[in-house]
Amino acid sequence: MSQRGDNIVFRDYRGDVQKGSAEIFFRKVKFWKEDGQEEAPPVFNADGVNYFHVKVVGLLFVATTRINLSPSLVLELLQRIARVIKDYLGVLNEDSLRKNFVLVYELLDEVIDFGYVQSTSTEVLKSYVFNEPIVIDAARLQPLGPASIFMQGTKRMPGTAVTKSVVANEPGGRKREEIFVDIIEKISVTFSSSGYILTSEIDGTIQMKSYLTGNPEIRIALNEDLGIGKGGRSIYDYRSSSGSGAVVLDDCNFHESVRLDSFDTDRTLSLIPPDGEFPVMNYRMTQEFKPPFRINTLIEEAGPLKAEVIIKVSAEFSASITANTIVVEMPLPKYTTRVSFGLEPGAAGQRTDFKEATKRLEWGLKKIVGGSEHTLRAKLTFSQETHGNITKESGPVNMTFTIPMYNASRLQVKYLQIAKKSSTYNPYRWVRYVTQANSYVARI
Amino acid sequence: MSGHDSKYFSTTKKGEIPELKEELNSQYKDKRKDAVKKVIAAMTVGKDVSSLFTDVVNCMQTENLELKKLVYLYLINYAKSQPDLAILAVNTFVKDSQDPNPLIRALAVRTMGCIRVDKITEYLCDPLQRCLKDDDPYVRKTAAICVAKLFDINAELVEDRGFLDSLKDLISDNNPMVVANAVAALAEIQENSSRPIFEITGHTLSKLLTALNECTEWGQVFILDALSRYKAADAREAENIVERVTPRLQHANCAVVLSAVKMILQQMELITSTDVVRNLCKKMAPPLVTLLSAEPEIQYVALRNINLIVQRRPTILAHEIKVFFCKYNDPIYVKMEKLEIMIKLASDRNIDQVLLEFKEYATEVDVDFVRKAVRAIGRCAIKLERAAERCISVLLELIKIKVNYVVQEAIIVIKDIFRRYPNTYESIIATLCESLDTLDEPEAKASMIWIIGEYAERIDNADELLESFLESFPEEPAQVQLQLLTATVKLFLKKPTEGPQQMIQVVLNNATVETDNPDLRDRAYIYWRLLSTDPEAAKDVVLAEKPVITDDSNQLDPSLLDELLANIATLSSVYHKPPEAFVTRVKTTAQRIEEDDYPNGSEQGYSDATSHVVDGAASPPTSSSSSPYTATRQSAPPAAAPAPAPQVPDLLGDLMGLDNSGAIVPADQPAAPSSPPLPVLLPASTGQGLQISAQLTRRDGQIFYSLLFENNSQIPLDGFMIQFNKNTFGLAAAGPLQVPQLQPGTSAMSLLPMILFQNISAGPPSSLMQIAVKNNQQPVWYFNDKMAVNVLFTEDGRMERGSFLETWRSLPDSNEILKEFPGIVMSNPEATLDRLAASNMFFIAKRKHVNQDVFYFSAKIPQGVPILIELTTAVGNPGVKCAIKTPNPDMAPLFFEAVETLLKA
Repeated sequence: MSQRGDNIVFRDYRGDVQKGSAEIFFRKVKFWKEDGQEEAPPVFNADGVNYFHVKVVGLLFVATTRINLSPSLVLELLQRIARVIKDYLGVLNEDSLRKNFVLVYELLDEVIDFGYVQSTSTEVLKSYVFNEPIVIDAARLQPLGPASIFMQGTKRMPGTAVTKSVVANEPGGRKREEIFVDIIEKISVTFSSSGYILTSEIDGTIQMKSYLTGNPEIRIALNEDLGIGKGGRSIYDYRSSSGSGAVVLDDCNFHESVRLDSFDTDRTLSLIPPDGEFPVMNYRMTQEFKPPFRINTLIEEAGPLKAEVIIKVSAEFSASITANTIVVEMPLPKYTTRVSFGLEPGAAGQRTDFKEATKRLEWGLKKIVGGSEHTLRAKLTFSQETHGNITKESGPVNMTFTIPMYNASRLQVKYLQIAKKSSTYNPYRWVRYVTQANSYVARI
Repeated sequence: MSGHDSKYFSTTKKGEIPELKEELNSQYKDKRKDAVKKVIAAMTVGKDVSSLFTDVVNCMQTENLELKKLVYLYLINYAKSQPDLAILAVNTFVKDSQDPNPLIRALAVRTMGCIRVDKITEYLCDPLQRCLKDDDPYVRKTAAICVAKLFDINAELVEDRGFLDSLKDLISDNNPMVVANAVAALAEIQENSSRPIFEITGHTLSKLLTALNECTEWGQVFILDALSRYKAADAREAENIVERVTPRLQHANCAVVLSAVKMILQQMELITSTDVVRNLCKKMAPPLVTLLSAEPEIQYVALRNINLIVQRRPTILAHEIKVFFCKYNDPIYVKMEKLEIMIKLASDRNIDQVLLEFKEYATEVDVDFVRKAVRAIGRCAIKLERAAERCISVLLELIKIKVNYVVQEAIIVIKDIFRRYPNTYESIIATLCESLDTLDEPEAKASMIWIIGEYAERIDNADELLESFLESFPEEPAQVQLQLLTATVKLFLKKPTEGPQQMIQVVLNNATVETDNPDLRDRAYIYWRLLSTDPEAAKDVVLAEKPVITDDSNQLDPSLLDELLANIATLSSVYHKPPEAFVTRVKTTAQRIEEDDYPNGSEQGYSDATSHVVDGAASPPTSSSSSPYTATRQSAPPAAAPAPAPQVPDLLGDLMGLDNSGAIVPADQPAAPSSPPLPVLLPASTGQGLQISAQLTRRDGQIFYSLLFENNSQIPLDGFMIQFNKNTFGLAAAGPLQVPQLQPGTSAMSLLPMILFQNISAGPPSSLMQIAVKNNQQPVWYFNDKMAVNVLFTEDGRMERGSFLETWRSLPDSNEILKEFPGIVMSNPEATLDRLAASNMFFIAKRKHVNQDVFYFSAKIPQGVPILIELTTAVGNPGVKCAIKTPNPDMAPLFFEAVETLLKA
């Protein structure tokens, strides 16, 4: 379903839900107001029909049922369907869906039969699906999803490689032999007002997308001293756990194709990668790590109707690394009427904005080189006296960023081995790291 | 293929359908294929292209799979509206089902199963039989699902043709995909069938556990969910199962993880070794936490499930409270759920950390979230006695920021804290009073007023504060008016000086004369009467000690929690509602549930908990501001309301002596005189000479309260009114009570029409009905009656034999409840059956069992709840065994009463 609520593709497997369900759903979601919340939860029931939805790149993937089935199954399935379609079409958006609706119907019929999930493996589906995708020109597209983060960061990545379909042949005839292994980490850090780390967490994924012919076996070796699980660890003693030595994950899980025969002994994973993009391993870590940025915020009252906010961001990573698309945001008191910004002398690629509607200050930086520091001064004007409550009514400061070729956890892919005997066979191997902010917050 | 599919969406200017028709009949394959695509495109956007049916079906005979699939898609969509034409396709289907290409064989069976046209279904059986035994696993797995499809269309056919046995054979198939589909199909068939079809034995269990390791992730979910119905024989078997399932916790697919968690939790109930249990808890924690790293939609589901899990086994996540701290970018629905769980996990050990978080949330931007955070602080205070003081100081800090909605929310929770810890924290009242002027929300206002009234003796200027509210009394919402009324009375009782005396006159006048809200008026009249007859008694009632409220963050009813935990990883666990509350199968029932029928369970428990004291007309008016008293009360329509008092009477004057007979219309002569005497509910000795007898009856499908008033006093009585307190079925008067003036020594009958579901009381079902009757000459009389639930049995309660059997079997055994009536003799079954039928308890069937007779009956109470009744007795001998099966087993005791009454009659 598009953002406007039109059906792009609609498939009814059981006929037990009335016809206008799509409109009912859209109206419900659009005008949701229940339990004091204004955003519809992903699962709700209206007139005996249960509606599930997920949002992927601005598209709504919706499922309905009357049965008391597993909601995580449906939600997970909707995500997978989005992924499979992306594998096939190369790019997932409204345009590509509309152009390929016949193929998508065919895929949906193989993925689900009478409501039962049959397979969401692009690899398996290939043998049953005959329509060919009409690939839309990726260059014209706004980069979307995780694939895009590499295109901005590192120039050596061919832009189309990650947006090509797993089944469509390149115009040149033969497919390029290549494999991508991406270590994507999303970090969440909460700093207290005194700069002390209250919580920190890394959600990581080793994502793989293989374009190798013949599906050879692959071995991936991780840090040898990688530890998993901390037993009865209490939340209070996490800072006493080793700060510099081994990488210890709280928990991890693996794709079903992964064999863990030697994982316990030498931390290697072996797998025969199916076609399409898939997560080899997901992991989670709360072990202490060095946060890439420190944020210092200072608020000074300057008279009853004025104040100055100074935000300083310091990049605490090596100078050879550059973070990009940084946005620093801070909610200001509701009675703020005007904000004038002062950037440091010689600042380039920075923008500032005061969002009137949400009373939010926004500071965008194109890039930050490791080791550097940037400061923003913002003079606020208020419509009423502050009663010394500014700090309580503004903040916290939130930051989003992407740092290519950096990973906070220090989890590494030591080597990526492709088991194929031919000596001339030397496919491209891309191992890429990227760290993104999930919830990076400094309280004030 | 060239070009873009989207061009099929564009419309041509002139006659689209004829043009498509022409293209469909083109001699060129490609053109035909393009045309079918255009048809499908038109179908997707909702255009009616059914008139092309024959032309599309003609394209079906092709070797091209792509085209064939498109035609099939079209067929599935339109076969129902063109059943006769659909037959044209049968031959091709049957032929395709024998095609050498397994994909075509599977496609044919798959599609036929989706066409719900009887004639097609007939032809489906033979191909299906073959395909279930096909060499190719792809065909077999498709056929397995097809059996479920067929069962949905025609269950008898499936049983007659032995498809169930073939399906069961597939459980031992060597292909895991086939096994998974067979399990899924059998599980669904079982759910919709009343006979035991898919029993999981120890043998199937071990087979399925082995298959589990080889299945796709989705197959694993099917199998785990099917196995979760299995009850292990002992702790050892349970441990074995758990051991085999535990590795699934490591799966990347959240659905697999949650289904595995469900299975483990279920088996854990049987495991006795505390070590094993502790170990399992430890193992479950990390995967549960990992679910919170998934997409927000899945996080939401996980959080709703975790909410249930921590209620049963708080230890699993006791140390993980940090992971529930809200993230900056969490969607609001995730944040709200995290708050709930944080409250549940809050303990003396982590409360400081938790409070720090709540405080932070309370200054965020989202108003709803802020409110919930403030409320959360209050709930922690109520839950953790030792932390209450810290919670209060955080609340005071928040109040000082003077953000309006924060202040109001804080006052609401502080009122609850005062209720929980009376006489402990009153020192903060002064701070609260500072914010008085800014309050504009009814609940906050009412809370503040409650606080002022409750602590009137400690607030020097309590009278001034209350007075400031009085000016706007008529404009205030009912909730605030009620609190003002009570608070003023409290003030007067505590400080019986001139000021309060004047205030109370104003309030009572406003609350009786100026209002048309019956709740307010009733309460005011009660106070008035109390104050005028016996001020000391008024003190005892109004200033009575209130029961202490308790922590409500684990409020789910244990039996509901049990049921929900058994339904972990299903929708039930997300809505926190048992499946029958929202699952509506179109085929069986057309019954729909209310749109807003699934509020957050624990939230509801919360608002109830603070107000359980205030209940109905008969109980003393207490203080809680969120009183259900203010809830819509429709039992007394305006016509029955007392007429306004002509002037403000002296406080000691007789309130009830006012002339309000104008509102009462003399009654028609009702009630058949032949009926047996009504039971006396208010004897003349208690009623100062007034005797009331009454009973519920059912006539022509309507419920009436048949009343007899006898005036044995020395004075004429008039102005009779009646009020029903909340009760299990929300029975209330549908109109005003019509009783003429009763001269001494006379009596009058009245037949009062009743309606259901007006003011439903919470709590366990009960047949108790509390009634208040007043007249112009006497005090209000309160008396109890026991509802004869059989009057609720509706005329449409007769069930077909088949649906009776099906309903009986579809209800779990736990819903069957037994009771013996040792004294009852059934000597003339025919007469009994007739009598029962006259009371809407319908005879279904009878069978002999040894030397006893077993009778089956059905009955129904409004809102469609069926009651299935089995009576076992030896005719002529004393003793009847009664078994009742109903979706609401907690109502069974009421039904037993009803059945016993009917049998005795």
